[in-house]
Amino acid sequence: MSFIEIQCGDVLSSVVFIIEGELQEIPQAEAINSHLSICTACSAEIEHERLMHQMLQDVLRRSCDEQAPEELHQSIHQQMRAQMAGQATTEVVTQFSMTEISIEIDEYGNVEHREIQIEQTHIQHFIDDED
Amino acid sequence: MTSKDLVLESATDRTSRFERDALVFTNQLYAAALRYTRNPEDARDLVQDTYLKAFASFHQFEEGTNLRAWLYRVLTTTFINNYRKGQRQPLIADNELEDWQVAEAQSHTSDQGKSAETVALETLPDSDIKRALQEIPEEFRIVVYLADVEGFAYKEIAEIVGAPAGTVMSRLHRGRKQLREKLTDYAKELGYSTDAPAPKKDSKKGGAQ
Repeated sequence: MSFIEIQCGDVLSSVVFIIEGELQEIPQAEAINSHLSICTACSAEIEHERLMHQMLQDVLRRSCDEQAPEELHQSIHQQMRAQMAGQATTEVVTQFSMTEISIEIDEYGNVEHREIQIEQTHIQHFIDDED
Repeated sequence: MTSKDLVLESATDRTSRFERDALVFTNQLYAAALRYTRNPEDARDLVQDTYLKAFASFHQFEEGTNLRAWLYRVLTTTFINNYRKGQRQPLIADNELEDWQVAEAQSHTSDQGKSAETVALETLPDSDIKRALQEIPEEFRIVVYLADVEGFAYKEIAEIVGAPAGTVMSRLHRGRKQLREKLTDYAKELGYSTDAPAPKKDSKKGGAQ
């Protein structure tokens, strides 16, 4: 196994493993390393690849650095609160029944009355121990 | 205060923990979502959906494991399942090659090619970088983003995208390559001179040659 002759092309096609520092993951690691120690063209190429990767990473990080709009932060917080209110039913039973019942009337006058959340009130093992 | 078993954690406590530990990633997840979806509106929805799903299954999340990676997995899975809107690209044949052999044998790059790439990466504005990222196939875009912007290791990426590690390496290799080719093309279109001999930027790094 250790006498496999590795061609420049094979070394270069494994460049991503070298760049990622994961060369040991592939069976030819040793052969590639010894090839690199004698082939100046390949080691120059790897050097170039490292440089290009560093530059690519820098420009990607720079250009992808974006902030979420403030309203997104807020709406996520609101969602969390709403969900929590739905879960901590043992604490806020009255509040809960006010907000979670929904009644829908469609164009034919059919009334749909939903109390889905109310059924969850029996989940009372989320007891807050706030002593 | 008594120490509490996680199983018995109250909803209130869990919510506070989620708000404290998970919501700090909102900007990062939004930036990723922008690159995934390619538009701000979908990006906002995607991040919101991600947090909702993550929150709903937060009790399953094992404390002490990587929360950021877990959130990226929820983000990526949600995106793949719900946000592709028929803009499906031709399937990429990932597995034509052996796992370790991520690309066909390659030949050495010419000095001129090296110079052109360097010029492109040095001169192009952010808008062109983002455009190039938008134009490469989704499978490539996601892994390049996770590796090069977020700094995830390829095995973490494999878990996030739900693909074998060898496939991730292959996509990473090809994605980066396409990205660099696109950027080089843009630079040429813009008329940045790439015909001059290579400026040999890399020689001062103490290379052996």
